[in-house]
Amino acid sequence: MTYRPTLTITILAAILFAGCETAQRRNSDSAEKAFKDEIKHSLVFLDITTSAYENLQPWKLAPVRQEHGYGCAVAPYQVLTTARNMIDAAFVKARRFGQNEFVPVTVKVIDYEANLCLLQLDPNAMNAPLKPITFVEDFNKNAELTAWWISSGGQINTSHAALDRAEVNKSNVSYSQVLDYIVGSSPQTPGRGRLFCYNEKPIGIAYWSDSANAEAGLAPAHTINLFLQNARSGSYEGFPSLGFSASNLVDPAMRNYLKMPPEITDGVYVTKTYNLGTAGDVLKAGDVILAIDNNPIDSHGRFQHPVFDRIMYHDLITSRKTGDSITFDIFRDGRKKQVSATAKNFKASEMLVPFYEYGKQPEYIITAGYVIQKLTRPYLTSWGDNWQGAVPPHLYNYYRNDSFNPSDEREDILVLSYVLPTDISLGYHSLGRIVIDKYNGIKVRSITDITEAMKLNPLDKFDTITFENDNPTVVIDRSNRYAADKLIQNNYGINKLINVTP
Amino acid sequence: MYPSVKTQALLLLSLIAVLSASVAAHDPANTYQKSVILIKSVSQDFDYATPWKQTAMASGVGSGFVISENSILTNAHNVSNSKYVELKKQGLPQRYLARVAYIGHDCDLAILTAQDPAFFNDTVPLELGPIPTANSTVRTYGFPMGGRHISVTEGVVSRIQMDVYSHSRADRHLVVQTDAAINPGNSGGPVMQDGKVVGVAFQGLRAADNIGYMIPTTVIQHFLDDTADGTYDGFGSMGFSFFPALHSESYHQYLNLPPDQQGVVVLNTMLNSSVENIFEPEDVITKLDDYDIDNDGMVNVYGLTLHMSEIIEQKQIGDTIGITLYRNGREQTATATVAVNRPPLPYWRQFDEKPRYYLYAGLTFVPLSRNYLETWGQEWASEIPFRLKYLFANSIQLNKSKERKEYVVMSEMLPDEVNSYSKRYLNSVVETVNGVAINTLADLKEAFENNEEAFCEIKFMFSPTPLIIDNEKAFVRAPEIMNKYNVPAKASLEN
Repeated sequence: MTYRPTLTITILAAILFAGCETAQRRNSDSAEKAFKDEIKHSLVFLDITTSAYENLQPWKLAPVRQEHGYGCAVAPYQVLTTARNMIDAAFVKARRFGQNEFVPVTVKVIDYEANLCLLQLDPNAMNAPLKPITFVEDFNKNAELTAWWISSGGQINTSHAALDRAEVNKSNVSYSQVLDYIVGSSPQTPGRGRLFCYNEKPIGIAYWSDSANAEAGLAPAHTINLFLQNARSGSYEGFPSLGFSASNLVDPAMRNYLKMPPEITDGVYVTKTYNLGTAGDVLKAGDVILAIDNNPIDSHGRFQHPVFDRIMYHDLITSRKTGDSITFDIFRDGRKKQVSATAKNFKASEMLVPFYEYGKQPEYIITAGYVIQKLTRPYLTSWGDNWQGAVPPHLYNYYRNDSFNPSDEREDILVLSYVLPTDISLGYHSLGRIVIDKYNGIKVRSITDITEAMKLNPLDKFDTITFENDNPTVVIDRSNRYAADKLIQNNYGINKLINVTP
Repeated sequence: MYPSVKTQALLLLSLIAVLSASVAAHDPANTYQKSVILIKSVSQDFDYATPWKQTAMASGVGSGFVISENSILTNAHNVSNSKYVELKKQGLPQRYLARVAYIGHDCDLAILTAQDPAFFNDTVPLELGPIPTANSTVRTYGFPMGGRHISVTEGVVSRIQMDVYSHSRADRHLVVQTDAAINPGNSGGPVMQDGKVVGVAFQGLRAADNIGYMIPTTVIQHFLDDTADGTYDGFGSMGFSFFPALHSESYHQYLNLPPDQQGVVVLNTMLNSSVENIFEPEDVITKLDDYDIDNDGMVNVYGLTLHMSEIIEQKQIGDTIGITLYRNGREQTATATVAVNRPPLPYWRQFDEKPRYYLYAGLTFVPLSRNYLETWGQEWASEIPFRLKYLFANSIQLNKSKERKEYVVMSEMLPDEVNSYSKRYLNSVVETVNGVAINTLADLKEAFENNEEAFCEIKFMFSPTPLIIDNEKAFVRAPEIMNKYNVPAKASLEN
């Protein structure tokens, strides 16, 4: 049964190519073969072992998993792949064409926002250097692309795809919006960092693939080149991130209400500004962004890109360098105005509710059986597939509405996750999934405040924890706490009671 | 086909029970044929998203029994949202038209009266008895799955506890659990012991066999006493939240309580409740009237250990209740008035109330209620949009305004050029209209009708962008919209 579809595709391909001149076809065939012989020395197969912590039992490691991915050489001993491939990677080894032994690999630079990763291969474990490739910033709509990769068995493989468009999409790895080349491809969709070439010139690597829609998204050459340039500079800065969100502004009643003259038809409405990222400090909710760096933004948020046609405004910020000055033409309080912002980015760990904690053990404190955890997106996603609907609304609200707005008063949201039942916590065993307000009377701004508060007033008889919304005060008898902690460690098999990064 | 076979089998079993019972206990079914009544009703529910519409008609059969010379007691759910109610006695062909005199949706009880007084010429009222003891034998009478003859089933009282009354989905009162078969149609029928009514059969458990529930006579008596003055007020509720935390020895010490003192810890009071100025967080309630409260929040009453709310259950609205509490280690007493104490978001099902609404620019605004949320279907609790879920779960904590009587939500959009860009605000809760806080549907009507600006600015909760409507256009388009979508009136503000 699997034979028949393959046959159909071959016939179809034959019909498609029937129009081409035979001589040309023979030429391109031999050219392709020559290219294949060359490119196979630039590609590697990546065998990845991942290891992550259990989000709801953060002292425990989840079962180890085997993943795989693909990479291409950008220096004799350096390989480019996606950051997605390297999430929670504990051990990575590479297979190259013409060498049986695996080569140990280490991460040199990883950028989850750009979804790119630079890997270092051990030169001593390689029989010859790889042949570096250079990415070319060519973009030709509808161009036929060729994907190349080394299989797990060390063979060079290829498939074809058509370049459809460039568009800004929400990343599947981070909070960022990134520019993707979208390719339409065969059902056996390539992903995981496979190399795509146009006319034998590398133009991108695959970020993601969606077999249901037979589409894949590529990291564009432009993004890759900026990443590599930045990575080689010695101190990696990363790409700027947005410090605001905006929505379309198509409703004429709304435009009139904002006193926008009818001749102005452009602009998006700023719905929220953040304490993190670019321009949150110069824009205000209610502003209308008319242009960014003199590129007019239409009412749907698109601008005319010289190469990619109409794409979303995010690219005007994320494709810049940190430290660059970005000018916004805005409409505020009935008047046009210009403001400038410095392009900035931030680490996920700076967020009030971090979007990810890849490769990091979640921070937690266990005291007298009370399991206190930092609210993060991975913590919430551990509720399962339908986590948005299943998590307690009060927790989800922090994630949904306040993630990008940490402040001096509040850097983390701390949650009493649940109570490990023991004698000392009798009466409180049913508490859980509630947000901590104060610990020993100290307003909790971050997880380190708790470890500090635990040391306060050493002569007091009790530790106290109070919570948001209507919850009882947790009162812990300090004289019994040490013994209870020991018992809990033994009973529940917890190697360490506190994991807090100072 | 399978269910009908099962029904027949059940009826057959019931008949055998009748025969053997008549010999054993001088309590045969035909004793009550002048008391147990078959009730047929036709009902029609409202559509809470499109509030001027009603849903399809449904007819149902239940049971009831005569309790006085001119009234019949039955379950509220037998006659809720009813358009037509009919009474029938066993073995007689006549049908009598009935009227719902009183209905208590919070306790699932209703009093019916026959339009024709002749109905009561030969009826025999039943008398109320006490709460039956566990393991004592009871018999239920009624018309399970309809039928022409009164069916009787016998069982024992399994347990007595506070539980949710499924009719409103939210109210909790005392229930008596029995293993006597209670099936659809039994609802409203009397459960008898020693010639007296000890309960009204009212609900069963679909997931379990032989678990049927009856409403005990304490609840029935409360309902009857309540209606004696001509209006039904309902049961009082506590108006505060508490936590049974005194199992913790350290919390006990922290609160400076005398050793061995039991009680529960107050977490918070509800805004506008009758206990708002009586309790503070971390008060420890130790007594309601003369009933001692234990660390689980239970009291000893009727020789049973029951949830402390049972003390309030015995009282009528407006009665007072004595409270003993510890605050900062000192014992204090206070007196509270028993009140309905309902929060601004009705988390219980409503019946017999025509939904209120206001239509502006083809946008339908309704009070946020459980009935509205249930329009999402069976899985509504997980399927409703996040902002509604958040509000439903935390309506008491999120409401900071004493003025708030209800939340108003934009439930539907009748598409028209005036509201072409309004769709993203569907199912959002109104915060302000032109800067005026919206705490009732009447506030909304006033804000819309008093607006003399060219625009109407509607701000929604949890939404940073306001909705702007061209006010003049809204009024110009209104007749056309109502005509196009067959809306009978632009507003309905009375129930």
